[in-house]
Amino acid sequence: MASPPIDSRGKARKKRQESLRKDDTQEPQSSDEDPGETLKRTIRAQRQRRKKMLLEQSQEDSEDVVEDISPIQHKTEDAEEAEKMTDPPRTKKSLSKLPPIPGSQHLEDLMTQNLKEKLLAARTRVESLHQQESSIKPPSRLQRLKDRETITRFDRDLDANVSQSLSTRVQFREAAKKNDTGIPTAEEAYNFFTFNFEPEPEESEEQSKESLTKRKTSLEDEDSEREQEESDIDQANQDKDHNEEAPLVQGDDLFAIEQSTQDFIVVKKAQYIRYHKRLQHERELLFTPSLRPVPTSVKLPENIKPRYLEDEGLYVGERPPVSFTNENIFENRLLKSVEGKKWFGDDGRIKALPNPIKESSTRPPLFHMEEDLDPALQTVFRKPVMSKPENVYFAGVGDSAGDFQLDVDVSGLIFSHHPLFSREHVLASRLVQLYDQHLNRQHNNLTGYLSEKLKGLRTALKNMIEIHGTENVTEALQQRFLEYSVEVNDTRQMRDREQEKDRTLLKNIIKVWKDMKALREFQKFTNTPYRLQLRRENVDRGLDEQEYEGEVLAEVIELEAEADQEYQRKMADYRTQLEKWKLWRRKQKGKKKKTKRNAAANSEDEDMSESESNQEEPLPKPDPPEKPDIQRLEQTVREKASRIRRKPGEPILIPELSASGNITATDQCPRAEVSRRTDVGRRTLFVKIIYNDKEVSRTDSCALNSDFRVHFGQIFNLRIINCPQSICLQVFEEGGVPCSLLTQVFIPAPDPSVLTGSALIENFEFSSNQRVIYDHEGVGSDVPLSFEADGSNKVTLLTSGKLACCVSWAIGDDDVPLAPPVSQQHGRIHSGLGHLDAVSSIGASGLYDLKKIGEWAKQSRLDPNDPKNASIMQLLKVASSGEVTAPDYFRLEQLQEEFNFVGDEELDNSKRYKLLRLRNQGVPEFRNYKFVPALEREVSDKVFQDYEKRLKEGDVVDTKQHLDSHRAFVASYLKKIRESVFNRFLLAKHHYLLTDLVVEEEIPTIGLLGINIFKLAEPKRPLKPQRKERKKVTAQNLSDGDIKLLVNIIRAYDIPVRKPHSNKPAPVQTSQADLYQVQVRPFVEVSFQRTLLQTTTAEGPNPSWNEELQLPFSAPNGDYSTANLQSVKDEVFINIFDEMLHETGPGDGEKQKSIHTRFERHWLGSVKIPFSTIYSQCKIEGTFKVNTPPVLLGYSKERSHNPNGGYDLTVSGGAFISLFITIEPQLVPGESIREKFDSQEEESLLLATERFEREAARSHPDRPCLTTVIDLNGKTVFITRYIKPLNPPLDLISDTAMSMSMVARFVSLIPSLPDRVSFSGNCDLWTTCDQFLTFLAGDEEEHAVLLCNYFLFMEKRAWLVIGTAIPEGPTAYVLTYDQSRYLIWNPSSGQHYGQYDTFCPLKAVGCLVDAHNVWFNVQQYSCPTRISFDTSKNNLWRPFFSRSFTHPGLSSVQPEQMMYHNTDKSAVAELQDRIEKILKEKIMEWRPRHVTRWNRFCCSALKQFLPKLEKSSGQDLVEGHRHDLLTLLGDHKISGFPLNLPFSEIMPIIEAVHSTGVHNIQAPKVEFALAVYVHPYPSNVLSVWVYLASLIRD
Amino acid sequence: MAELHIIGQIIGASGFPQNSLFCKWGVHAGGAWRLLSGLKEGQTQVDNPQIGEMAYWSHPIDLHFTTKGLQGWPKIHLQVWHQDSYGRCQLLGYGYCHVPSSPGHHRVSCVTWRPVGTWQEQLAHAFVGGGPQLRSPDTIYSGADRYRLHTEAMGTVDLELGIITSRFDKFGVES
Repeated sequence: MASPPIDSRGKARKKRQESLRKDDTQEPQSSDEDPGETLKRTIRAQRQRRKKMLLEQSQEDSEDVVEDISPIQHKTEDAEEAEKMTDPPRTKKSLSKLPPIPGSQHLEDLMTQNLKEKLLAARTRVESLHQQESSIKPPSRLQRLKDRETITRFDRDLDANVSQSLSTRVQFREAAKKNDTGIPTAEEAYNFFTFNFEPEPEESEEQSKESLTKRKTSLEDEDSEREQEESDIDQANQDKDHNEEAPLVQGDDLFAIEQSTQDFIVVKKAQYIRYHKRLQHERELLFTPSLRPVPTSVKLPENIKPRYLEDEGLYVGERPPVSFTNENIFENRLLKSVEGKKWFGDDGRIKALPNPIKESSTRPPLFHMEEDLDPALQTVFRKPVMSKPENVYFAGVGDSAGDFQLDVDVSGLIFSHHPLFSREHVLASRLVQLYDQHLNRQHNNLTGYLSEKLKGLRTALKNMIEIHGTENVTEALQQRFLEYSVEVNDTRQMRDREQEKDRTLLKNIIKVWKDMKALREFQKFTNTPYRLQLRRENVDRGLDEQEYEGEVLAEVIELEAEADQEYQRKMADYRTQLEKWKLWRRKQKGKKKKTKRNAAANSEDEDMSESESNQEEPLPKPDPPEKPDIQRLEQTVREKASRIRRKPGEPILIPELSASGNITATDQCPRAEVSRRTDVGRRTLFVKIIYNDKEVSRTDSCALNSDFRVHFGQIFNLRIINCPQSICLQVFEEGGVPCSLLTQVFIPAPDPSVLTGSALIENFEFSSNQRVIYDHEGVGSDVPLSFEADGSNKVTLLTSGKLACCVSWAIGDDDVPLAPPVSQQHGRIHSGLGHLDAVSSIGASGLYDLKKIGEWAKQSRLDPNDPKNASIMQLLKVASSGEVTAPDYFRLEQLQEEFNFVGDEELDNSKRYKLLRLRNQGVPEFRNYKFVPALEREVSDKVFQDYEKRLKEGDVVDTKQHLDSHRAFVASYLKKIRESVFNRFLLAKHHYLLTDLVVEEEIPTIGLLGINIFKLAEPKRPLKPQRKERKKVTAQNLSDGDIKLLVNIIRAYDIPVRKPHSNKPAPVQTSQADLYQVQVRPFVEVSFQRTLLQTTTAEGPNPSWNEELQLPFSAPNGDYSTANLQSVKDEVFINIFDEMLHETGPGDGEKQKSIHTRFERHWLGSVKIPFSTIYSQCKIEGTFKVNTPPVLLGYSKERSHNPNGGYDLTVSGGAFISLFITIEPQLVPGESIREKFDSQEEESLLLATERFEREAARSHPDRPCLTTVIDLNGKTVFITRYIKPLNPPLDLISDTAMSMSMVARFVSLIPSLPDRVSFSGNCDLWTTCDQFLTFLAGDEEEHAVLLCNYFLFMEKRAWLVIGTAIPEGPTAYVLTYDQSRYLIWNPSSGQHYGQYDTFCPLKAVGCLVDAHNVWFNVQQYSCPTRISFDTSKNNLWRPFFSRSFTHPGLSSVQPEQMMYHNTDKSAVAELQDRIEKILKEKIMEWRPRHVTRWNRFCCSALKQFLPKLEKSSGQDLVEGHRHDLLTLLGDHKISGFPLNLPFSEIMPIIEAVHSTGVHNIQAPKVEFALAVYVHPYPSNVLSVWVYLASLIRD
Repeated sequence: MAELHIIGQIIGASGFPQNSLFCKWGVHAGGAWRLLSGLKEGQTQVDNPQIGEMAYWSHPIDLHFTTKGLQGWPKIHLQVWHQDSYGRCQLLGYGYCHVPSSPGHHRVSCVTWRPVGTWQEQLAHAFVGGGPQLRSPDTIYSGADRYRLHTEAMGTVDLELGIITSRFDKFGVES
């Protein structure tokens, strides 16, 4: 706390010294001594005054003056204090004496005088103080601190003590203080660092100080004079200061606050010490070891001789290299230090470890890093690649894949038959074939091999018999004998077969050669260079005969033995059977006796046997087997031998075929032959390479040689991305006719292990059934041909040959096969790599499973001695000897077990994890499962029930749910197809475009702005609101309750009206009834997802509601993804009801007071629209036909004949309703799949379809145009292939008048299932008609195709209409032209409409399709009422195939003929009962609070009526039926109707019944009637009728 | 039965010689770990920063693991790619980092490296792009000896990971 004052004091002192030296007398004397108390104040005042004065004095000196003020002041204080001590009166006097503002002139004198005095005084005082100090004990530091306050108050009594103690303290910091003054001198620095700050006794402080200075001086004796002086002065000043400073400290403490920084700063010159002086200094301070070597004796302890360990034979490492000078310097230095000698070893040198630096580098050199880098670390240089679509076809390969290369080596082509073959060529090729076969056999030498084997086996058997003898053979030995003999037998038979083949082959060769020779002679020229030579090899007859005989003998013996054995066996059999028979006979006898006794029979054995035969089947008496006929055996053997074997002594014939013959020159040939030859010369061939149905390359055209061989020898490298599914080589022939496809050869995709270089060229045989006939010598193809003179024995030869080629995976630059990994190939459904050879399928190609090889070797009885099998045998031996036994498992994380928290089972069993995983996998049951509980116990088992059930069922079909085994089967099949299609599209779905991910608002353009301005000027028409385009909402950020279905019900037409009860006269108020003549009071109820909303009630048969209903929509599982929304199967039911108002009888007593009315509603009809349709169309607007039941009890169809309507309305009777349905907010319908499918259509056709569709879309974007469709295999098929006359079920067309509508009805009874729902993607799969009938479910297109095909079969003119209809959207209808009238058939309802029917649901016609062509509608209008259907006019209908692009003759994909099978009647009856039972249960279930009574009488009556309805298709029976019913149930008020549905499942039927709302009648005495009838049509097509009625007893 | 949630994002990359980067990432965990939900590999979009050098992807990572042991604690491995002005892609860096094992929010920066290749390859890289890539990208996170592989330091990828552990304490693992 005292440091700042000390510092300032130090500075002050320094300045004062300077000022003293300079004797700055010009400064004003300010010896303004104040008495202690007021000192501070006065000093301040003085200073100000003085400042003023100084400013007046001189500007230049001002700084100095200012600086000097404080020291002077201090000094004056000091002096004053000193004076106080010495003579206080004087100070008083001076104070009084001095004038306030002293003059500058006379001040000088005064000052010098004063200073001198002060100096003197100070000196004396120091002395006296020191004397005092020695006596006075210094107060403790604490005390001093305490005293400080008193000091500041200038307590005089304590002053002296305090100042002194302080000054002593100052002494200790002398050096430090000096440092502050500027750059320290060397001495000062030395002092500072060497000064001992140990506290010394206080009394000797001064002395020590003096001694210190003395020591200093002694050290500095060479110092310059001036310095000495300075230090002396310093010393003196210091000494002097002690007293003077003491009070100053306190003063400074206070003044420092007031002073400016300039008061403490002094500017000094840079000090320079001369170089040699500095060197001198340094020399004193530093020690420089000498460079000279140190004698050993110095380094070692005395009297010890250096000891050299090396000489003693001990190993001493090499010392690290150090230069001698350095060593010397080091040694010298060490010796100087304390205990320096311990650094030296026994040999007098510095101890050192051996050189740690190894001679060779430990790290291996980094050159050649490329060669032997760890394969895992190897890098590949990859060029920067364009980001291509993910490698979807080789799933899971990742980014490293994609570069696969197939090498297709097309080496050549050899024709075994060609249309241009001459007869000689045919024979020649046959000869060559036979000869090749012969050579091949010769090479394999199976006969020889088998003979050798037979011989070996025989000797082995013989040896065994010899060794063991025939007696006392053990069981095992017996078995071996048996095995051997069986083996011998087998081998012999095989050998015989082979021998026979050899022989016949030889015979054939000779025969063909003879034929050929004959032909050459006949035609007098030769075409082929082949010549056959037979080389004869004579044999030694005796030896040969011997061998032959031996062979025969051996065979006979064997056969004998065999026959003998057989005989023995048979005998044994016979014996046992005989025993049995005897036993049985005895039993019979016993029985007979019994019966005889009972019945008193007449005779003995004969009768008995007779009766026996009557009673029981008699056992036949076994016949003893025949003895083998040895003679005959030998005969057969001999016969066979003579047939198949060379006769003894006959020379061996070896055929040799050579191509050395001469071909007759062309000019010597007849004309026909010449023309053939020229034709051959013209022909060229080339091969196209088709990969995955796409042409990738083609070979050069090569001329056909006269020997019908073509050599291409070209290798094509295919870089592929797609998995090879088919590799096809198409052989084309040019010349004569322009470029025809000769044949195509499919080549299996190679196994990934088949690599270029190692793969062998294979010959693929091909043939073509093209018919070619020539007028020259060429024999043609598919033409009968005979070589016999009489023309018999005709052969038909087809163009055929062998294509030598080879497909293999390429090898990359770095010897890496560019083949897909093997594992990728497994588990792929459409993999073309299923053709693995047998050996590789058992794992032999990989040679990793030795066990399997062993098994295989055992099974196939590999001959261990065969050199071919040597390697396998070797391997097996190694395997069995256990040299390479490896454990069956490979443990990847071997220590995992020990550290496991829990076992696998626990993880597997965790329900919560299972739930999480399943949800993540998107299993349908859990796809959008919201909250998974945090705790295990909160997951209930119930969650998994459905899922597990589904898993368990799998393929097991639940017949209960489907009621029908066939449909159940179809359902499961459809599910599988759906899965596969789903998987297929999963890949396609990931092809995103930018627009799929980024929504960009269109920037408003100027034009748009203009339109908007115009809009402002438009007249406002509030009564005619227009629908605005709404913003589309992507499905992802939706949740429950966000989506609403808006149904706007506008109006209805021709609603059935009530009929007055005929047999009952109108009740009481006839007059009123006349007045109000309420025909009908209809209202509409919309039900969707079990939400019901209804409109108000309107009146009359043509009501107008114009009401909007909002129905909430919630997606299943809360998943609002596009795919899920598309597969929503819910339907919107729009039901029209009639509201009946009944005034029920008021109570008897109070007649007038209360009237009870009861509403009753009667179902009139319904419209149902699937949600998927609404979703895909965004909005549905139009007038729909209401499905009214054929019979509506209590109502009649009042037809409002509109005289104004120009069109024929009578065609389509029935009620209609106008609707507008949309979804709020507007959802984005699923995009169609942007995927190009494979196709078997020709490329040119596909291109044409693309062009056609593109043009159609450009000219008429709103008209659907369809030329290609996707079949069930996911292949693109041209649409006309679907159209083909097909036979409908026979019983439907027996009645010619009704046949068309009957057929349409049959088709409409096949349940309809939108593809969008079933295949959860906006893709339309077309099934063929037979598939459709098998599935019994399909889209509108399938219905339309089937109907169209039936019509065509019935020889009607029919087309498929591709257009848009309501509510289906883009769909397919059928158009027929019959009796100069066009009829439009709705295939899914069976209804037909005239062309000019306003209520026809078909609203736009896009194109017409028949079996040969497609026409696109290019007329101005698309509405069927306004267009002409005359397709012959090209300006109205643009044909796809025209004269420029002819129909290439596309074959149909449809079956030849439809097969129908009769539906099982009993199953139908059973189904009928079940439906009825289920419906009754359901109705009771829907009426939980009421008793549901069934009127049995009515039920049975209705049941009888239903079959009639089916027969008549619900026409013209109403009246009679009504009448019948009324007579039956006279006093009931009946309302009811039959429903007719195609049968697919039970659920739609229940839904339909529920939607009619019959069960809602709550009249007290209501009874119900329900009847179900199922009418079977062929092929399990069922029509379900449900008759519902409610009866109220009056 | 212990569970681990990794919720976070790949923020972006900085310090790469080129801009316009994208990142392929994956999470590798040992055999004891089972993924309950979430995607464990993916690819970010290409970010071409207009301002500043850092490419931001803000690619979300949300994984839920369960484990029966501590071995094979999940690690994130990354490949940073560059898409040049021609739309070609080339590798710029490999890197991996462990998923932090303490629960809470972590900011992880993953440094990356790139194989250098021979001088020919370097020359090709400088002029026509492309560059050496690892034959087996497993090396990024496997403990194999990588000595002799010459690499070059590339930029860093920043990740922000929130870790939630559950029931580790039941098995004596304290965090």
